[in-house]
Amino acid sequence: MAALVFGLFFCAVGVLGVVRLPDSLTRLHASGKVATLGLFGLLVGAALLMPSAWLRLLALGLFVLLTSPVATHAIAASVYRRREIVEELAVADASTAEADITAIDATGVLSRSRIQDIIEAQERALRYHKSNARPKRDRR
Amino acid sequence: MIESAWAQAAIQLILLALVSLLVPASYRVIVGPTLPDRLGAVDLITTLLIGIIVMLALVESTQTFVDMAIALAAFAFIGTISIARYISEGRVF
Repeated sequence: MAALVFGLFFCAVGVLGVVRLPDSLTRLHASGKVATLGLFGLLVGAALLMPSAWLRLLALGLFVLLTSPVATHAIAASVYRRREIVEELAVADASTAEADITAIDATGVLSRSRIQDIIEAQERALRYHKSNARPKRDRR
Repeated sequence: MIESAWAQAAIQLILLALVSLLVPASYRVIVGPTLPDRLGAVDLITTLLIGIIVMLALVESTQTFVDMAIALAAFAFIGTISIARYISEGRVF
């Protein structure tokens, strides 16, 4: 019974953290507590109260203890990669804007060929981003 | 299997508390500003559902519910991993 209350306490704390914490990575940290401490406490309490099913409860507990950090890590990696992609696009936008300004400065007038150059550079940067993203992902 | 009425009432109270914890978790699913937030909240809801199923097994004192909880854990793991891969890479396989 004490283990059940322990598990319920950690479930409540984890859900409170998921609702209240400000960042998505901290929210993932809180939900990881629910999966390991809260659910494992509930399973230990259930195994003590229902001793005939302790093997299945142990199997379930081991499975959750193995898979839930993997799932949380995958979600955190997706958060990180999204942030990385956004930062890369921001860097590309800043560099093209800089090229824009230097083109105006060099010629005085923004000629049509310079605009073509800028558009081609932008497309090259996008293509480089797409081709660079695949092997970096497959290395994982 | 659980003989004392006090323990039975306490288990049902814990079950009620776990079910009421689903409401703020689904609040994060609906509101959550980014896609990984929603995915993490769905993962949290599945974890709570596993706990609820185990509590139901205690209330009904049948072991079959534990098998259902194991199956739910397996499918939730596969689904979470594939959606996280889809978010981070743009493709599942």
